Amino acid sequence: MAVKIRLKRMGQKKAPFYRIVVSDSRSPRDGRFIEEIGTYDPTKDPSVFNINEEVAKKWLSNGAQPTETVGKLFKNAGITK
Amino acid sequence: MSVTNSSIHTGIVSTDDKLKEKVELSILFDFYGELLKNHNKQIFEDYILNDLSLSEIADGQGISRQGVHDIVKRCSKQLKECEEKLNLIKEFNETKVKANRIKEIAQQLMELSSLKDEKDIHQLSEIIELANEIMEEL
Repeated sequence: MAVKIRLKRMGQKKAPFYRIVVSDSRSPRDGRFIEEIGTYDPTKDPSVFNINEEVAKKWLSNGAQPTETVGKLFKNAGITK
Repeated sequence: MSVTNSSIHTGIVSTDDKLKEKVELSILFDFYGELLKNHNKQIFEDYILNDLSLSEIADGQGISRQGVHDIVKRCSKQLKECEEKLNLIKEFNETKVKANRIKEIAQQLMELSSLKDEKDIHQLSEIIELANEIMEEL
């Protein structure tokens, strides 16, 4: 099973807030996910990013693929190089 | 989910341009998304709100990756043009700042110890209440 780490847009209309979730790549649209591993709040200046680093690293080492955007967040936070 | 605090990374991140653009586009979509054609809207939503990759969307829709890319580009352009003409996001942000400031001032006045008059307090609570309503209804 291919596993992806994605951003998932939550929050009210006009007030974006994201969860970072681990999900099965085959069911991207139904909103189900395996685990929530963090949040990202771009409405704050500067943006605030919370991540459970241990769990994120565990998923990455098990072959989970972060999307381009999540990959950038991880890189900025120093989780990946 | 029980986790030890030591493994939680909390922090401020410098916002990458690409990420910033996705956030901006998602706000544009909140305001003007209904104006997109249904088929394009779904694709744009998957790309911007669900964070799917171009090739994942292409596979799901049975079109080429380039085709998805073109649709996303076209939608972005369309939404940006809406904002250029209507300025709803700009006005939304300005009103939000002003309503917040009204609330702040009223709260400061409420906290003044010299304020003992029931009527004053009642009116200030009403101002705060109204500011809250304005922000919610925006």
